Amino acid sequence: MYRIRTILTPGLIAIVAFLTVCPVVMLLLGSFSEGLGTLGGFTLAKYIKSYSDPALTEVITNTIVFTLGSALVATVLSLFMAYLNTRTNIPFKFLFQIIPIIPMMIPHILFAVSWVLLLNPSNGLINLVLKEILNLKESPFNIYSLFGMILVEGLLDLPIAYLTIAPAMSSFDVSLEESSKVCGSSNLRTLLKITLPVLRPAILASIILVVVRSLASFAVPSAIGMPGRIYLFSTHIYRIIATGFSADYGMAAAVGMSALAASITLIFVYRYLTSEVEKYVTVSSRGYRPTLIDLRKARYPLFAVVGLLSFVLVMLPVLVLLYTSLVPYSMVPSLKAFGMMGWKHWSAVLKDPISLLSLKNSVFLGIVGATIGIVLSIFIAYTVVKVRTAASGVLDFLSFLSFSFPGIVIGVGFMWFFVRTPLYATVWALLIGYIATYLPYGIKPLTSAFVQIHRDLEDSSRVCGAPILYTLRRIIVPLLIPGIVSGWILMATMFVRELSLSVVLSRPGTEVLAVQILRFAEDGLWGKLSALGIIMIFVSTTLVILASLIGAKFTKVRKEG
Amino acid sequence: MEIRIKNLNKDYFSEGKKITALSNVDLTIPANKIFTLLGPSGCGKTTLLRCIVGLETPDSGEIAIGDDVVWSKDRGILVPPERRGLSMVFQTYAIWPHMNVFDNVAYPLQVRNEPKEQIRRKVEETLRFVQLEGFENRPATKLSGGQQQRVALARALAPEPKVILFDEPLSNLDAKLREETRKELRSFLTKLQITAVYVTHDRIEALSLSDTIAVMRTGRVVEVGTPKEIYFGSEQRFVVDFVGRTNLVEGKVARIENHVTLIDTPMGTITCQTQIDPPLGSTVTVSIRPEFIRVSEGESKKETNTFRGKVESLVFVGDAYEGEIKVGETRLITRIEPTANIKEDDEVGLHINPGQCSVLLR
Repeated sequence: MYRIRTILTPGLIAIVAFLTVCPVVMLLLGSFSEGLGTLGGFTLAKYIKSYSDPALTEVITNTIVFTLGSALVATVLSLFMAYLNTRTNIPFKFLFQIIPIIPMMIPHILFAVSWVLLLNPSNGLINLVLKEILNLKESPFNIYSLFGMILVEGLLDLPIAYLTIAPAMSSFDVSLEESSKVCGSSNLRTLLKITLPVLRPAILASIILVVVRSLASFAVPSAIGMPGRIYLFSTHIYRIIATGFSADYGMAAAVGMSALAASITLIFVYRYLTSEVEKYVTVSSRGYRPTLIDLRKARYPLFAVVGLLSFVLVMLPVLVLLYTSLVPYSMVPSLKAFGMMGWKHWSAVLKDPISLLSLKNSVFLGIVGATIGIVLSIFIAYTVVKVRTAASGVLDFLSFLSFSFPGIVIGVGFMWFFVRTPLYATVWALLIGYIATYLPYGIKPLTSAFVQIHRDLEDSSRVCGAPILYTLRRIIVPLLIPGIVSGWILMATMFVRELSLSVVLSRPGTEVLAVQILRFAEDGLWGKLSALGIIMIFVSTTLVILASLIGAKFTKVRKEG
Repeated sequence: MEIRIKNLNKDYFSEGKKITALSNVDLTIPANKIFTLLGPSGCGKTTLLRCIVGLETPDSGEIAIGDDVVWSKDRGILVPPERRGLSMVFQTYAIWPHMNVFDNVAYPLQVRNEPKEQIRRKVEETLRFVQLEGFENRPATKLSGGQQQRVALARALAPEPKVILFDEPLSNLDAKLREETRKELRSFLTKLQITAVYVTHDRIEALSLSDTIAVMRTGRVVEVGTPKEIYFGSEQRFVVDFVGRTNLVEGKVARIENHVTLIDTPMGTITCQTQIDPPLGSTVTVSIRPEFIRVSEGESKKETNTFRGKVESLVFVGDAYEGEIKVGETRLITRIEPTANIKEDDEVGLHINPGQCSVLLR
């Protein structure tokens, strides 16, 4: 039994190295190869071809504007929300706790599509309504623009920005501000001169995180960007492999290399910054609540803004999808529209074999993938937190690396690999790719859970005579249940809605929900899309509720037993 | 069971620096006695305990428990903690928060796959022994500190081990409870006839609980003996200072006759009874514990070791006064009867029994 401990770390390193290094190496090799069939034959042709492409300049400019723009939108909004939540007496604070969990409920592709349904120039609902009311000839809004993309992506990345900024804001040392006020500064001046500068590491971390996420984003660029012919890195790669007559995986790999390099660099800057954030945070106040700023008359107007934002984030997409799924074609909500509602799209989707197959595959990937992923995460988090050898540091580094992987790029890397294996075009290829890309999301909650389990709890079990696996089963796993449940939920919901990796790896027979929705969007089948989208939201929500119930039951039984 | 430790060494590396946790530790822990490892924090006592139990691996040396060698560098033996058959009470108690009292105590028996009925009976007996009857179904985390401590003890006792190890088990209790639990623990362990190894930095705990004390300093065992031997008989400055409050007076050996040594010090000549005669003319330190300095008001009789001094400060601490008395240029800490009629700045007489002055060589 003692041997398990010694093979655990190298074994895990081998698995994680396969998951993270393999796609990167294959991507690199692929970028120097002529085509999928000729791996290894060294050529620079693909680099020359892809980087001399005149379209690339525009792609790079678009990508920079898009990522920085979304980062700015998300960060400014989160600063505003976090400040209101932690430092003012704004009413209904529970709303602020909902914001971080929203992205688990509504898949990004659906969020993007719902904005298309609202603001597209030909039949977007808001545009139709405004045209009718104001008697306009032209639609006032066009979502198919870089500006529209930035706005939607910014809203989508609001949760991660908020989760970075809110903790820093709430553990901010208030005495710094108080001394500024004692010196005679106003609230606003203090905010600008003291609060924001001190929060700078957190703000920068949030900006970088959103840049990395939006660089990897595929939902918004594909659903909003492509119809408007605005191409970004991710959609440029997609264009190379999925449209036109011959898919050029070598060229995709060559373009992908620079996206990957940028992403990895940024994520290391992010890692450095978060350690800075912690430094700033730990020197601060000892547990007393900051005095809340009285917003007085601004209290309810400001709350209205937050309420509207929450409505836009949660309710609007669902309502738009539901409405679109029931009306026969895009029309302004009216009595006539409600009268024409029916289940046409729903029955079409439920009879569509590919939609049903994609539903089956996504549910399978969500449940089985998240389960395998979480088991792997348990072992990794255990080794990183509890074993703590030099080798477990390597493991920590490797598993963190995949945090920076843009799905589509890593998908191309995996493509080079899977094509050579019997896994190609199977659901298992997707499963491996998913786990590789989303492993940090499973490891994170488990690492914090392991940190909370005092070492003595484990040691005393061993002294009692329990071998390491028995200890794992009876002591560590039960104490980890909350961490396991939240990690599983995170992974399962991400797998169910996964798009960017799937657009590369999904083949006929292995369709998944998000890809199917993208196909509907490309064909303009909004009704079917909305029906399938609602089913998708339903599946994610069911998984979340089920996992929470099982988790709650498990801990309860343990306590009574 | 006897525990024999031979030439144990262990170093840590922390931020590139080498820290010696154990250095050539040789120790025999006698069977069925309470043996205490006493020392300041960082002296290696906990490391030694964790090496015995197997949670840490020494760099070299040998550990045998009873007839079994559980660790030997030279022979390549490493028995993991789960197969050493020991029990341990942790400083944090390490009560599993997701289990109730019964499951916590039953755990070591369940690990051994004992029949259910037997487990139930043993747990019941053990809980009765530590006076926690009827607590079986309580969630372990809902108990008070003292009760949690007893759950931890019950869990350690349930598998009827031959050896039980304690890592500062009382340090998380408040002062009054610590005193009560210490007495309880002493009576439990005496009843059981079990080898107990106890780690503490608290001298009163060590003196009142132990059959034998090993004093440790910077990874070494500096002295082993009964509480009385350690308290009265030590000739090492570090040990004398660590196990109790004392006055240390430097002086030169002036004369030696029949195990009586006269030492010239700044406060006068002190007469000491010694076991081993120090070399004539050598510089030594005399240790006088405050409780053995008799303070009398007014004139005192002309005996050996009689001095006169002035009361510098007087602090009432409840059961006594703590007085600082200046004899010449030497300040002595003394304990004065709370009823004594002595004020600050009074001239007082001091008498010290030669049998209670120890000469420290190191």
